[in-house]
Amino acid sequence: MLEEIIKNYLINTKGKDPALFSDPALQVSALGLDSLDMVEMLFEIEDRCGFQLPDPSRYPKMAFREMLDDIEKAIREHNNGELPAFNLEAGK
Amino acid sequence: MTKVLITGMGAISPLGADLPGSFARALAGDCAIGPASADIAKWLPNVLLARAAAEPHTMLDAKHASLDRASQFALVAAGEAMSAAGITPQPGDARRFGVFVGIGFGGAHTVDGLYERFQSAVQSEGKRNPTVVHPLSVPRMMANAAAAAISMTYGLNGPSNTYSVACASSAIAIGEAFHAIRDGYLDAAIVVGCEAMLTPGSLLAWNALRVMAKPDANNPARSCRPFSQDRSGFVLGEGGAAIVLESAARAQARQQPALGELCGYGRSSDAAHLTAPSSAEQVFAMQQALADAGLQPQHIQYLNAHGTATEAGDVVETESIRSVFGDALQQLAISSTKSMHGHLIGASGILEFALAVMAMNSGSLPPTATLDTPDPRCDLDFIPQHARHGCQVEAIMSNSFAFGGSNASLVARRHHA
Repeated sequence: MLEEIIKNYLINTKGKDPALFSDPALQVSALGLDSLDMVEMLFEIEDRCGFQLPDPSRYPKMAFREMLDDIEKAIREHNNGELPAFNLEAGK
Repeated sequence: MTKVLITGMGAISPLGADLPGSFARALAGDCAIGPASADIAKWLPNVLLARAAAEPHTMLDAKHASLDRASQFALVAAGEAMSAAGITPQPGDARRFGVFVGIGFGGAHTVDGLYERFQSAVQSEGKRNPTVVHPLSVPRMMANAAAAAISMTYGLNGPSNTYSVACASSAIAIGEAFHAIRDGYLDAAIVVGCEAMLTPGSLLAWNALRVMAKPDANNPARSCRPFSQDRSGFVLGEGGAAIVLESAARAQARQQPALGELCGYGRSSDAAHLTAPSSAEQVFAMQQALADAGLQPQHIQYLNAHGTATEAGDVVETESIRSVFGDALQQLAISSTKSMHGHLIGASGILEFALAVMAMNSGSLPPTATLDTPDPRCDLDFIPQHARHGCQVEAIMSNSFAFGGSNASLVARRHHA
């Protein structure tokens, strides 16, 4: 679900090519996101999980898959090891 | 000094989704004033509003959906004006093309939404963290958000300035753009006024000022009554309006017809009272505008008054117009179109100026639609109730007088190519 939310946002709002995400070695830097794009993208998760993810400047150095794992880890740490079910639609 | 021509205009207002639609409804004397939405009426049952005739986001690309409503109004109005002027994005002289925006309160919808979200999270008993808010909240709510959106949308590299002068904001933006082109600093400018603050938070604040109209028992739409004995205050509106200004040389080089010549701008500050107007400085602003245009009072046939329907405002403006125009009042027709579209605060100056230019070109003057019982102290020709057609108008004036004591007066005349 986490991956779906982020991919949907990048494709639908930021106009990224869906084909990019079929590469398992996709790097975050290859997505061409500036720092504002990055915090907007993270807000899609923060809005649903209710806390601010730490230090977004780490992500451009990671692979897309690593970033997803890192975000999931942060959410689990915040929820006693659980990954809550998120709505695909943003709450706003 | 170069002549400055108006080559395009646009508006999204309570009267219409575009400027021709807004002007047609103004000529019909149709008042676009109605009750507030349930979330506002719950606390303020008597408050009236003039909502825009269309939802701005439905007229824009999806990428603009998250902008503050005021910026969306700005983009819609700018789109109509730029299209009317035949200007497409990335003009070849982009560094000589400026953006001038007037807005009274930046990002009211974003600010209200932020606090509403915060309060709701506080009351969620720990389910949501109140501090998690959208990272673009600041760029959405900043006063120059609309100027930024316009300069980026059209690729304009000249100055992108925002004027926040309450009710005179967009009149000042027009005047400053006019002088920048006239004095050779720029060749063209898109000038926009926008305002969107019909939110619960800002209406609480306006209500506390005790300047809002009370609902007319028979017809709430006719509750804003400038220059009337039974006036009770103004009605807050929302929307945007835009004009494209160009040096005569630029417009001629691309054979773009002009809608008029912007020729006079006067401004002054009362330096006296926060809200009560001063006639002396209003007179000075109007006289400066006439002198700037090289015109005499008898050259103006139509004046769009500030006319907010407050006791102090109407009576002082009447005195000021009488002082400036003297004997020339015999051939001066005046109206307050706020009677129909409400008070758009930062967007009011430019919407009213655009309506006045439409009146000049069509010879049809919009009325003070709700003027049934004139205040004896306001005894000028305020075009009561019904529009006047078949008028020969060579030049117009538009007044905007703001809280804070800032006054602006603009003059435009027909352009004979």
